[in-house]
Amino acid sequence: MAFKLGIDVGGTFTDLFLWSSDGRIETHKTLSTPADPSIGLVDGLRALAERVGMEHGAFLRSISAIVHGTTVTTNATLTRNGATTGLFTTEGVRDALEMRRGIREAQYDNRYQNVTPLVPRALRLPVKGRLDRDGTELTALDLDDVRRGVETMKQAGVGAVAVCFMNSFANPAHERAAAELVRAAMPDAYVSASTEVLPTVRFYNRVSTTVMNAYVGPILKGYLDRLTKRLAEVGFGGVLLIMQSSGGVALPTVTMGRPAATLLSGPAGAPAAAAAYTKDIGNGDCVVVDMGGTSFDASLVRGGEAAMRNEGDIERLRIALPMLEITTIGAGGGSIAWIDEGGLLRMGPQSAGAMPGPACYGRGGEKPCVTDANVVLGYLDPHNFAGGRLTLDVEAAKRAITERVAKPLGLSLQQAAAGMYRVVNANMAHGVREVTVRRGIDPRELPLVVAGGAGPLHACMIAEELEIENIVVPPTASVLCATGMVLSDLRHDFARSYMRRLSRLDFKELNALLAELEAEAEAQLHAEGVAPTQRRLEPAFDLRYLKQYHEVTVPVARADIAKGELSATTSAFHAEHNRLYGYDLGKEGTDIELITVRLKAVGTTDKPVLPRVPPAEGEIKRALSGARRAFVPEDNDFELTPIYQASMLMAGDHIPGPALIERVDTTIVVTRSFSATIDALGSARLTRNLTRKV
Amino acid sequence: MSESTKAAASDVKVDPVLVAIIGRALKAITEEMSVSMERTTRSPILCEARDYVTGLYDAEGRMLEQTENLPILSFSLAPVCKHIAQKFKGNIFPGDVFFHNDVFSLGNQNNDVAAFKPIFVGDQLVAWSATKGHQADIGGNVRGGYNPDATEIWQEALRIPAVKVVERGAVRKDVWDLIFANIRLDIVEADMQAEIGSCTVGERRLQALIGKYGLEVFEAHKLALFDAAKKLMQAEIRAIPKGSYMGEAWAYYDGKNVGSKYKIKVTITVDDEHIRFDYTGTDKQTNAFVNGTYTSSASATVLTFLQMVNPDIPHNEGMLEPIDIVIPEGTILNAAFPAATTYGNHLCPNNADAIIRALAPVIPERVGAGWNQLLCSLSTGTDTTKAEPYVDIMFMGLKGGSGAMPTCDGYDHIGMIDASGGVLDQDYEMFEQQTPHLLLEHELLCDSAGAGKYRGGLGVRTRYRVGGTGTQLVTFGDGDVEPAFGLQGGREGTLNKIELHRPDGSTVVPRTKDIVKDVPAGTEYLQIAGGGGGWGDPRERPAAKVCDEVRNGVISRGAALELYGVALDERLEIDEDATARLRGKRS
Repeated sequence: MAFKLGIDVGGTFTDLFLWSSDGRIETHKTLSTPADPSIGLVDGLRALAERVGMEHGAFLRSISAIVHGTTVTTNATLTRNGATTGLFTTEGVRDALEMRRGIREAQYDNRYQNVTPLVPRALRLPVKGRLDRDGTELTALDLDDVRRGVETMKQAGVGAVAVCFMNSFANPAHERAAAELVRAAMPDAYVSASTEVLPTVRFYNRVSTTVMNAYVGPILKGYLDRLTKRLAEVGFGGVLLIMQSSGGVALPTVTMGRPAATLLSGPAGAPAAAAAYTKDIGNGDCVVVDMGGTSFDASLVRGGEAAMRNEGDIERLRIALPMLEITTIGAGGGSIAWIDEGGLLRMGPQSAGAMPGPACYGRGGEKPCVTDANVVLGYLDPHNFAGGRLTLDVEAAKRAITERVAKPLGLSLQQAAAGMYRVVNANMAHGVREVTVRRGIDPRELPLVVAGGAGPLHACMIAEELEIENIVVPPTASVLCATGMVLSDLRHDFARSYMRRLSRLDFKELNALLAELEAEAEAQLHAEGVAPTQRRLEPAFDLRYLKQYHEVTVPVARADIAKGELSATTSAFHAEHNRLYGYDLGKEGTDIELITVRLKAVGTTDKPVLPRVPPAEGEIKRALSGARRAFVPEDNDFELTPIYQASMLMAGDHIPGPALIERVDTTIVVTRSFSATIDALGSARLTRNLTRKV
Repeated sequence: MSESTKAAASDVKVDPVLVAIIGRALKAITEEMSVSMERTTRSPILCEARDYVTGLYDAEGRMLEQTENLPILSFSLAPVCKHIAQKFKGNIFPGDVFFHNDVFSLGNQNNDVAAFKPIFVGDQLVAWSATKGHQADIGGNVRGGYNPDATEIWQEALRIPAVKVVERGAVRKDVWDLIFANIRLDIVEADMQAEIGSCTVGERRLQALIGKYGLEVFEAHKLALFDAAKKLMQAEIRAIPKGSYMGEAWAYYDGKNVGSKYKIKVTITVDDEHIRFDYTGTDKQTNAFVNGTYTSSASATVLTFLQMVNPDIPHNEGMLEPIDIVIPEGTILNAAFPAATTYGNHLCPNNADAIIRALAPVIPERVGAGWNQLLCSLSTGTDTTKAEPYVDIMFMGLKGGSGAMPTCDGYDHIGMIDASGGVLDQDYEMFEQQTPHLLLEHELLCDSAGAGKYRGGLGVRTRYRVGGTGTQLVTFGDGDVEPAFGLQGGREGTLNKIELHRPDGSTVVPRTKDIVKDVPAGTEYLQIAGGGGGWGDPRERPAAKVCDEVRNGVISRGAALELYGVALDERLEIDEDATARLRGKRS
């Protein structure tokens, strides 16, 4: 027997998903060990070995691949525990990193402070040497500046060095020379030159991304070294792959070339799993939402693949690398209800976390949280929460909501809890709009895949808010990211600035540039042992109308470029521009500019086949375990609601709403407008009933 | 809204939860409109600096929500929307678009051209979406606007009173061509198309929102949203001691008369749940272009006051209801027709100073020290290698520091108070792509911040080498006479400056409102944007913090010693004894 294992190490929990070659799957959740996450990971392996009834060593030897998602780099950035980092940059612009183009996100709040930069000013060192906008040298590089700077950095105990010069995207020569010198003079430091990380125009994006890359480099290296050592010690002989924020995976050695690509990779596994569970619906598009204790992530799958964007922010610091289009908002089971001064009910983003947690945890929390509302609404069984590990204090939940929501708003306890439920659902629906409507995509047409411990409690009402007709709650909903990791492909993204008008394109030159990127990509995939038949290269252009300054990324067909044919590309661009921005200039015949040539390189992996559940036999009564009074949002009232045990449900079983379906680690709330059907993979599919509420 | 809808709306039971949900949705729509503008415009003033605003208004033109990258533009949209709704009553159809910039029908500045799009549900007008941006050119005598020689509006700009440019989805080509035939750059036409696109994004999304809840429900909850914002604002006003408070500030040099200065005087009367800003006593309007319009000045008043209250109040009509603004016509803040007014937006910092001075003694815990004043330049010419004209406002150079607060430092390099950090620097490489200039320096400026227990925000020094041909530089601004003031023992910030070092070795120092023609290629442009004022005695600033800032080169060793009373040795370690002596001496 052989195994494939997905391991998602989060801040609170480490999730594991194990697939066996005999077709079975096992999932496991264990507490994370933030001081050294590899400890918790190895503990999880031990537990899984027991679960499959194998001796630990034999179990590990049978694992062919471990796919691992880590938050060490994200956490190091959030907690400012990265390496002491220095920056060599062009004389005159060393403060770009700190000034962030002069933005203050809260315009009317004079107490709002700037973010402390990852490199203090004293370690941002100027270097003489200048290229113009076309990459032509105006002033020669002064390597003495770099030599002197190296001494300063050594004295300051710098462990990581970023190099970013003006206009290097057009000519990397100065950066290469400086980086070479630094690598020789500081052999123990992690050195990152901007053109190795992101050779595209826009200085602030590049310097910020490169610094972040350097800042987390030594952290990731230390972690991966420890992890590979620990895995080798316990006898693991398979392949280790690391999850990236692009939703693809890569070997540790490759990941070390661009450690910033692991930032924000936490939720990156979910889309692949969502795609696998919705394969038979529509054309492979879906919305994925993951609601845990403190936050809610929404992402998008289009044509079976995660939707991407080319830049994002972490703690207000720019990171311009391809990453999943994900919106994270402060909405989770621990989100706190409060009344603003205008008398409006608000939910979050403050969270009670795990300590003290919601009032119903009975750990001293007095503030009413989403979980408290779910208890009062009858959605959660107080005696069987989190697999029975915690008994919830119903009275504490009632007290918190009464004092802090019901009384101030003049509502009954039930109305107040229902209001909390609605507001947090509306907030999450807005999160979904961010990744759909904002991209010109109508969420009503897409199935909603729901994950996380708290997600299935809210699924119907988020869908209601967005007028979504179909919901899928996968059987592995509570460990969906770990599931997705096992289902992800190897992926690398390449980008090169190439500014030309489409009408004046030199296809010979463009094809040569693409060939260069392709060779780079092929070499990378070859090094990772991907067979040529398993490789897929997908070019895309960043395009804009002449004289615009922001681009829309449009996929292009390689054959078109080889032929010098562009009409499909330009029509796709016009359509995308209209969908996003309300108009296009297709009719006007305005020229289009190419700015960046991108290449996505994918090495497809052998995907496990997800196990099927047997078809239903006999009556559904076998799964019915009781009933309790629960809130029915459509009626704005409580009703005695049947409870089903998910473990007893089989493919084809049909449950009309209102109903509660209990799993070990979550409860699916089926409201009156929906009914649930169990599909062949064991997902609960919730479909809106034909007779719509008015 | 039809009478029947109104009546139906009054029957709807308001659900406090839905009020919050609709409020959040409206904000999201204006943000989407803003993204659309940022991503599709061509002028760096719009796509890089974000000198534009977006908003939604009800059928009558009342503000529903806005995204205010540059707030000085934003509080005139609702008045103009009301004006258009009245002017075209009975002649407004689905698919229409209106343009407007006219300062004598409630516009704020000639260059700030707005597009308005009516939003229909069925055949009923239910709302408006609007987008207004600072356009790269608007005709008149000077490329890019800002004509310090102007004495009347016709020398400044093309006036666009509310005109319909698109009717039922079809462009009125004759009107359209008349407008753009009078504007120098073709990118302005493209950027107005982008404004319409942004309005369309707002239209699509608001229609979907109203479609979801129904018009009656939407209308009833809109009124509740106004009411919630009004209550929030009233609560803030109640927290200010009742009384009447006076503040004054000076605006220097009108662009024509060297040494001229003009007083801005505000009397603020706080009366339980109501606040009134009365500018009676402000100097008469100038015979140059340093004149405000009612809406630019009232915007300045509102945005300054908003920085002294709860920053989370939703921005809608209700928020403004408890605020009264009186600006006598014929004054520098509300010039009478047909005065030149292009500079009017930039009287905001002076206006803000008057308000801050009036309220600092009354609500000291909420009011910070003075901000660096705006001094700006705009370059135009031809990028010879591309053989194309360009217009660039030197945003990165103009952004100085904000005033320190009673609890924290000012914000470094934030820029004028009229934008409050909503307007961005050009990206350096984009600046070099978009202009023929070469950036030499753009860094935080040592010792520019006003010293204090909490220091002011730092200013910046900017240098670039002028490239291309036919370069013309226009300056507009202030802050070369009076630096940002300190509070409670905090020191003042530093002054603004622009200099041109020509290749022949000569130096030109333009006035703060000036046109410099034929700037030769190779000229080095130098600009200093000063720091903000400090708050509290600098000797109370933690010595370790001062030491850290000296090591980072934003405070000099000398200033540490003299202003902060922190002695540092050669290795930049704190000399504890000397520091104790210096800091003890004062008591």
